[in-house]
Amino acid sequence: MRAGARLLELARARGARAVFVVGTAKGVGKTTALRAIYDAACAANLSVGLASVGYRARFPLRAGTLFATARTLLPATPAVEILQIAPLETSAGALLYARTLHDGSYDVIGPSTASGVRESLAFLGADSDVVLLDGAIDRLAMLASSPGAIVVSCGAAGAKSQPQAVEDVAALAARLRVRAADPTADALEIVGAFTATAADELMRRGERRQIVVTDPTQIALNGAALARALAGLRVRCRRPLEVVAATVCALAPERNFEPESFLRAVAQATGLPSFDVCAGREAA
Amino acid sequence: MKAPDLIDEQSAELLGFPWLRTALAPVSAYGARRFAELRPYRLGEERAAQDRAREVASIAGTLAPERVGASRATLASLPDVAAVVARATMDDLLDDPDFFELAQLCDGVERLEGVANAATRSVAATLAPGRREGGAFYLADAFDPTLAGARIALRDVQAELDAARGRERAEAARALERDEIAGDEFIVMRADLHGGPPPGVRVQREAATYLLCTLEYGAASLAALERREAAVAAVAAAEENVRRRLSSAMRESAGGLAAANDALARLDETLAAVRFTQRYGCTAAEIVAESALAIDQARFPPLEDELERAGRRFVPVTVQLDAPAVLTGPNMGGKSVAMQTCGFIALAAAFGLPVPAAHARVALFDQIAWLGVGREERPTGLLSSFAAELMALNGVLERRAQRPAIFVDEFARTTSPAEGIALAVALLERLREAGACGLAATHLPGIAEAAGVRHFAVRSYVIAEVDGDEQVSGDAIALAESLGMDERFVAAAYRALKGTTWTR
Repeated sequence: MRAGARLLELARARGARAVFVVGTAKGVGKTTALRAIYDAACAANLSVGLASVGYRARFPLRAGTLFATARTLLPATPAVEILQIAPLETSAGALLYARTLHDGSYDVIGPSTASGVRESLAFLGADSDVVLLDGAIDRLAMLASSPGAIVVSCGAAGAKSQPQAVEDVAALAARLRVRAADPTADALEIVGAFTATAADELMRRGERRQIVVTDPTQIALNGAALARALAGLRVRCRRPLEVVAATVCALAPERNFEPESFLRAVAQATGLPSFDVCAGREAA
Repeated sequence: MKAPDLIDEQSAELLGFPWLRTALAPVSAYGARRFAELRPYRLGEERAAQDRAREVASIAGTLAPERVGASRATLASLPDVAAVVARATMDDLLDDPDFFELAQLCDGVERLEGVANAATRSVAATLAPGRREGGAFYLADAFDPTLAGARIALRDVQAELDAARGRERAEAARALERDEIAGDEFIVMRADLHGGPPPGVRVQREAATYLLCTLEYGAASLAALERREAAVAAVAAAEENVRRRLSSAMRESAGGLAAANDALARLDETLAAVRFTQRYGCTAAEIVAESALAIDQARFPPLEDELERAGRRFVPVTVQLDAPAVLTGPNMGGKSVAMQTCGFIALAAAFGLPVPAAHARVALFDQIAWLGVGREERPTGLLSSFAAELMALNGVLERRAQRPAIFVDEFARTTSPAEGIALAVALLERLREAGACGLAATHLPGIAEAAGVRHFAVRSYVIAEVDGDEQVSGDAIALAESLGMDERFVAAAYRALKGTTWTR
């Protein structure tokens, strides 16, 4: 089983030209998953664009890759083809688009605003078959307005126990996979964040209408509160997201989970095709 | 664009200075720096102000607005290389983004008239081997044969390393019965392991059900890795050599590049003024060295814009002033707007701009001030609004400007009419003594004659000079009626008006 190739295949099967990998926390194998997808895309002779949302990640890139970085992060060697210095800011300074002409390690970063992410995707997408985006969970809202497939990553680094890690990723997946609103049915539109307080109040009132948010990232609920709200209310969205898979990383410096059972549990809890990239496994 | 010596903040607000600053805002970083330092012409610089206004008006008359727009778009797209040029001058080693921006700049200035020079062309030629499709830049092999050779060597050894590493990965994957080994660290489940880990696979951590492993470098990979490190160092050295040479060439052109930057700043400033001139149908005023503010068919663009958005039309103002004068007229008749128009024209002329008027003869003033209504003097502590108004007046007169333009809107309106008249007369006398030019709008009677100044009246938004103390109705009661005050109220007001000197 080639995890990167399978993840890429799942995304492309939905017609997505961009793949966002988001994690439940830091160190849960997001970058590993993204690298696997990147390698698979290169092996398939696809031209790839790469950016990260808000923060910096170092990637070994092949020649011919389009990437977003900051002017200050550009290595002196190997030289790259500089395509544009954009009027956008990253956390490390002015955003710069470049194309690698030699294999090497490069710092990838992206803009810090939702409109900047959209612009980056448009720029990278104009000259790439597929754009890969490394996205931190706290920047999730930035991905919502951009079309693409989402891979959620979870791991031992993000939770104190395996059940907790599974619950976290299941909640994230459930939140991101909220279904599209039925335009013919009655709806209560939520402006801004949909909070636990609002959800409790609506359940107390016995609200039967659809509860409609613009996109799933507006749902500011987690854990038990989210489960309660999704079970007790018809939560829907105007712009559904395309979550295509989950990845797991059973190992962390602080703790390890049993890889096989972790992968199985995540697949079962999320209902998504699930992969352990390090173990080269897909949940049956 | 600053004028702290010419106009105070509140007067500036009332006379549309912030609006003018926005209308003249440049689009490039070069223009922005110059614009930030832009100062009005001073007394004695009438010729320079006149020449500048004529230059702008002449360009506005010959350059199509579309071309102005296109040039401004080019200016807006240019990178700001001022810091790069400064670093080149200091013999800094420039980097590839610096060369990219310099190349972009040199391309861009060729599309603008009068900016490119020998230095920008020389820089463009020097960087040409690195130019790629779509304006991209790359430190290309063509810059130096040594660089090309170093890169070929690196490519070869990288391929060697990839092949050796690929073989090791493939062998390990085959031994572990997996399709691939992804990443530097990987997990091997004990259940999948028949015997110990295969050769080349190092176990980093063991757990009950799995092993965390890495793939060791074999002899062939290690040898290739060492050669690659050397090749990387050779490429780095060759790239730095090229950058050093290019930086040195940029240093030699730094003076010319700085001159091009200055030209860009001037062009940006000029095009903004040209755009303003075209948009508002401005003409170059005759700038004179004596107190004068004679305007024909003049407009106040901030209000003109607002009226245009509301589907209404601004009635142009015509008036000739060479000293302070009184302005009377009905409420909402246009007195304040007439004064704002005069002040705006004086401001625009002070910056060497064509003015929104059919014709104008204007002095350069060294003070432009507004007093009275609209100037939000907030009473502080025990100061009443009247006291605050006097304090503001004091502040304006204390400047002792040589050639002030002062606009006074209903001065002393908050005290008794008799004393208000006396104060207004005293103010006009003082302004006349100071050689000021301007208007004092008032509803109080007898001021023009008492102060010995000309008297203008606004009727239906049109200004005309009237005889000495001719009283102009304020039309205030009729206005109150038209604004919805009840009949009883209006009738009472007319009854009260009878017997006064100000009958309808």
